[in-house]
Amino acid sequence: MQVYSEKIREAAKRLLSEKRVDAVIGFRRGTVPFMNEPFLAKTPEQADQFVWDGNCGINLANYLPKMTGNIAIAAKGCDSRSIVIHLLENQIKREQLYVLGIPCQAMTDKAKIQEKLNGRQILQAEDMGGTVRVSGRDFEQTFERADFLQQNCAICTHRNPVIYDELLGEPVKEQEIDRYEDIRKIESMLSEEKRLYFDDLIKPCIRCYACRNACPACYCPTCFVDESKPQWMGKTTDPTDTRTFHFLRAFHVAGRCTDCGSCERSCPVGIKMRMFTKKLEKEVKELYGYEAGVIQDQRPPLDTYRPDDPEPFLG
Amino acid sequence: MSDWEPKIIAFLCNWCSYGAADLAGVSRFQYPANIRIIRLPCSGRINPKFILAALRHGADGVWVSGCHPGDCHYIEGNMYARRKFALLKSQLEYTGILEPGRLHFSWISSAEGTKFAEMARHVVESVKAAGPARHFIKKQAEVA
Amino acid sequence: MSDIYIEKGNFIPGVIERLMGRYRVHGPVKNGRFHEFSLLKNAAEADLGFQNTRLSPKEIFHPQAERMFEFSLAKDDPQAGILKEADKDFSPRVVLGIRPCDAKAFQLDDANFITETIKDPWWARRREAATMIGLACDSPCPTCFCTSMGSGPYDTAGLDVLLVDTGDGYVAEVLSERGENTLLVTSGWSSVSSSVRASLADKKKAAERSIAGTFDPAAIAKREMLELYNSPIWEEVQFACINCGTCTFVCPTCWCFDIQEEVYEDKGERLRMWDSCMFPLFTLHGSGHNPRNQKTQRVRQRFMHKLKYYQDKYNSGPACVGCGRCVQACPVNIDIRQVGRQMASPDCACPA
Repeated sequence: MQVYSEKIREAAKRLLSEKRVDAVIGFRRGTVPFMNEPFLAKTPEQADQFVWDGNCGINLANYLPKMTGNIAIAAKGCDSRSIVIHLLENQIKREQLYVLGIPCQAMTDKAKIQEKLNGRQILQAEDMGGTVRVSGRDFEQTFERADFLQQNCAICTHRNPVIYDELLGEPVKEQEIDRYEDIRKIESMLSEEKRLYFDDLIKPCIRCYACRNACPACYCPTCFVDESKPQWMGKTTDPTDTRTFHFLRAFHVAGRCTDCGSCERSCPVGIKMRMFTKKLEKEVKELYGYEAGVIQDQRPPLDTYRPDDPEPFLG
Repeated sequence: MSDWEPKIIAFLCNWCSYGAADLAGVSRFQYPANIRIIRLPCSGRINPKFILAALRHGADGVWVSGCHPGDCHYIEGNMYARRKFALLKSQLEYTGILEPGRLHFSWISSAEGTKFAEMARHVVESVKAAGPARHFIKKQAEVA
Repeated sequence: MSDIYIEKGNFIPGVIERLMGRYRVHGPVKNGRFHEFSLLKNAAEADLGFQNTRLSPKEIFHPQAERMFEFSLAKDDPQAGILKEADKDFSPRVVLGIRPCDAKAFQLDDANFITETIKDPWWARRREAATMIGLACDSPCPTCFCTSMGSGPYDTAGLDVLLVDTGDGYVAEVLSERGENTLLVTSGWSSVSSSVRASLADKKKAAERSIAGTFDPAAIAKREMLELYNSPIWEEVQFACINCGTCTFVCPTCWCFDIQEEVYEDKGERLRMWDSCMFPLFTLHGSGHNPRNQKTQRVRQRFMHKLKYYQDKYNSGPACVGCGRCVQACPVNIDIRQVGRQMASPDCACPA
């Protein structure tokens, strides 16, 4: 991934000095282990700060809606699909964008690594590509990154960007993998078990809306959460209200979610809310043969119809 | 328990299904009185929030009915609605918010009074079998 | 008030059980990946080997959501339309194992909730009913910076008792009459041996030394408010922020809340719930005007409030205790230590 850092810096410097773009969106080194900070460079000097490694999990397309001027953006597979969704939904114009496509080598899940350390504090984490070297006050350990990938990255089938003006590396091999094993497990539960499973899943929710804010597909000027005429659900941690929130948010991104995992990454209490969105992703794929943002001129599923659409709900 | 009667909210499109309900009434077809009707211009107007709101307020069942696809008064309203309904029903049942048998959809044209009465009977029976709704009702905020 | 000592075997479960017999005890409990301050159901639940909780213990005094008033709207009810205060439990409670930074944070919050003219009855009564038994930090997190914020791993501000883990047992520094009275229901204490006493000062120094220094809030207090407000640093600081509100929710000195009413048929209630200055809705006027409708304004507001306005208003240091939770929880790694450094130094445009 060192290679990507240099390539992003080089491309950014070039685009900024040629005035091809007004700003470049990427990541710069974070201040805590396993974190990078989204960064907007406006000058070639600032572009020197760009880095890229396995800690670039946040979806940078989140910053695009309604941006003005010409912008270059470093985009991995899922990010690029979110960019396509933004283009389809008129949140930004194609002419404004210069996409630096990054064939993704998957992001690291710091929580999984932290768990293995039995409470020992991580002071430094070095991403070496295939491995991660983690050190603390009195220990040092190396982990195989492949065993500690972010959950969505482990089952990703679109690592290569689907849209780009410049591809910064050789395309990586896409995996053939069953994305919905865990969803099918839940589908086979009884209704009561399902309810208890999801109640348990969202129990820690403090209604901070980090998941919504980190999501590139959530950009409504007035979110349904804030609608007051009528108010669809309360803002307290009442369980029924919290279930309503998670259900509706997942439904609003149906067919638009690219499973970038930013929601789970940003949740302060570790809720696995992708269990809501993945089911809809599965349904959309099975019913309408659609995958969010993969084909650039294909309308999102709820925005269109076919005369022969299936009707499994009748009765 | 034996004298519990389910409360069912029916979202009917103005042009077809509501007309069918009218026809059923005028023709004196018998069907259970548990249906409370909300008239909408089109089944395409249905927002998942409406169905959630009905459940949150204590509806034991929800029935949505519109024109047959191809016959929508607004040409394509129910075509868009189809996709919404498919995803909504599957997601509601997947998350355990809704037990099977509580949410029903139908296409009933304004000439199909008999079908309306039949479907009404079917919906009420199905919701009766599911029992009173208990888990997704907001009666008071559960807070400190 | 003297220091007393107890062996760990007598503390858990002995002391905790005695406390639970008399008070509601809140202590650190492991739940999934993180610890949280919960009402203990049994003494064994308390995990005093924890570092710190993910969410601050402010829930104990300021719940995420609570009922303030109830009212009836029934036509035939003579009491209809009258707001009645909701029943609450203000019985005595113990907060066991709270870290010094969090205890200091609640003192800072008191300045907001309990003033000469206005007293928030729910916050005040909960505070009055609580005995704070703190636990000194011997292995602070790399994100802690309490020593720069006027607190420290062995700080006693806001505490009734400070426990120090000596390995085999705990030394309890009794700091107030309330602390002394609370511990009276427990037993198993002895005097502190000279060897243990001798080690305490060194332990404190070691803990303090292990916390990296960062910006000096006094330097921010000295700067001219409008100069800071109009500083160019905010343009850069604000970019990554996604206004998610996580920082405000995990922070022990963030107290903002919203009050809403919910009505169900013929009953209603007035509720209070956490709100965040990070949300655009926070400052939306009824007219539709929003004085902070830009993200830059909201991001600037948060740091200015914590590190500048609070200092100017109360002359007692920043509204930040250096617990580091926001640094750990922020999904885009906006680091208050970095922002503070930039605010403290007018020439510093450094990224790290």
